[in-house]
Amino acid sequence: MNAIEIRNLRRVYRATIGTLRRHIREVVALDGISLEVRPGELFGLLGPNGAGKTTTVKILTTLLIPTGGQASILGFDVVGQADRVRPRIGFIFGGERGLYWRLSACDNLRYFADLYHMDPDRSRRRIDELLELVGLLGREDEKVEGYSRGMRQRLHVARALLHDPEVLFLDEPTMGLDPVGARELRQVIRDLKGQGKTIFLTTHYMFEADALCDRIAVINHGRIVALDTPERLKGYVRDLRVIELEVFGIAPPVIDQVRALPTVDAVSVEDFEQKQILLVQSPQGSELIPEILRLLDTARVGKVVVREPTLEDAYVRLVGGDRGLAQVD
Amino acid sequence: MQGLIANLRIFLSGAVLSYVALFRWFEPIRYVASKIILPLNQILFFTLLGTFATGPQTASFYAIGNALQVAAISGIYGVTMSVGGERWEGTLIYLFGSPANRFFLFFGRAFVHIVDGILGVVMGLAWAALLLGVDLSQADPLAMALVILITTASTCGLGLLMGAVSLVALDTFFVNNMVYFLLLVFSGANVPLQNFPEAVRTFSYMLPLTRGILATRQIVAGASLAEVAPSLLGEAFIGALYLALGYSLFKSFEYFAKRRGRLEAM
Repeated sequence: MNAIEIRNLRRVYRATIGTLRRHIREVVALDGISLEVRPGELFGLLGPNGAGKTTTVKILTTLLIPTGGQASILGFDVVGQADRVRPRIGFIFGGERGLYWRLSACDNLRYFADLYHMDPDRSRRRIDELLELVGLLGREDEKVEGYSRGMRQRLHVARALLHDPEVLFLDEPTMGLDPVGARELRQVIRDLKGQGKTIFLTTHYMFEADALCDRIAVINHGRIVALDTPERLKGYVRDLRVIELEVFGIAPPVIDQVRALPTVDAVSVEDFEQKQILLVQSPQGSELIPEILRLLDTARVGKVVVREPTLEDAYVRLVGGDRGLAQVD
Repeated sequence: MQGLIANLRIFLSGAVLSYVALFRWFEPIRYVASKIILPLNQILFFTLLGTFATGPQTASFYAIGNALQVAAISGIYGVTMSVGGERWEGTLIYLFGSPANRFFLFFGRAFVHIVDGILGVVMGLAWAALLLGVDLSQADPLAMALVILITTASTCGLGLLMGAVSLVALDTFFVNNMVYFLLLVFSGANVPLQNFPEAVRTFSYMLPLTRGILATRQIVAGASLAEVAPSLLGEAFIGALYLALGYSLFKSFEYFAKRRGRLEAM
């Protein structure tokens, strides 16, 4: 039996537009996705903002009712058997909210242990174990309002693990964490996988998915556009080279001109404070550089590097392929 | 049996922890201001205004009415903060994603506010006796204790309904203020019910507090528990009705929020 099964899952949101002349617009968040996650697998769901990642997690955690299709956790339907699903899953959504800031970490965990019907002896032992696992032992009696973002996120993980769930949903768990905090949390996720937990992870960070996940599904516009192991997903762009150009103040029309070059497969831009990194995917590699530099005539260009494609480049090709341009956070 | 014990734990820990976590006035200065100074001001304001307009013999009418009405501060504002606060804190999705029994989860939110409300009413009556000379010597202590308990609990029933409304409504405090002032005017705290037209009087009897205030005035005047029992039963029934309405709305909110994807919407 699979830990998670999704069949033709569909979710449409209805949004009301206008104040006086109100009309309803339908937004398709999930357009019939299907996938399976095996027990003990660490499965990643990647996609740009609005692709349908959080909607999928919300449906699987019984927090949202789908408009079509079916989903089950450990054989239990997430809508019709939600009461049997809830004790078997744990979940966290990214961000700092979702904890009682005026309570201590210990009181937060104690309360959630009660909500999951844990008896006091078991919950006391479990809370100590989890505080140690997430590195909050010694700080457990402090109010959460005094915690750093990373500490709050680790407390979220402890809360999700309290009742020792078989399946864990982590929706962008490292979002907003500093590099050290994110690395610590990734180690916790690895440890959980080592304990045999099934983990469903959504993330924006390719290296994170690459480092952690057994398999990855890429979702875009509510559809699964690829589902494979990280290594095989990288194979999607093995025929390409990536030219990375450091530019200062590149205009959007110039990006369109680069994209229009006949041998260019995809273009993406990463924005930093004063500079941008222009990423050009092409089978040509370094031979293309003079032509790109000619187009970047008015922009100041810094370092230029040609490198092998990564999972992120495969992702850009998959989600940005239809428009040739993907804005990466 | 194990299920019942687990649910009682949800009720009790939810009662205490939600009070500490979500009741925003739970800080020394804000607590004193909202639970001691505000009620005292209200009692003094209406009693002095009322006696100025109608004579010193009516001081007891206004002082007792407002001392009981103080229960609405805990019942309406406090309970609403403890239910609606889940949304502000972003914890609602984690509660609704848990297997916890929704009734115990919901009802536990009111428990400490009932205790808090009782203390508020006792303090209000003490102010009435100490500062305004209200004579409580004729009151049957058991009847008085029961009327305070039932009236505070029934007001918290309305508070639970308002708490459920706060999960749907965007401006909770506007609605709460409106309800608080409706009680101030129509519960009989400051205007004798016989002064209202029939239709308004009917509306007054649909509110919590109304029968409790009537019963308290009777008890202070020397009525026995048996004499005020019908009013107390009526008050308890009204409170239970509001609690049932609040719980139904809470359950409906959970269902529709999951259907429409608005569980986290602020």
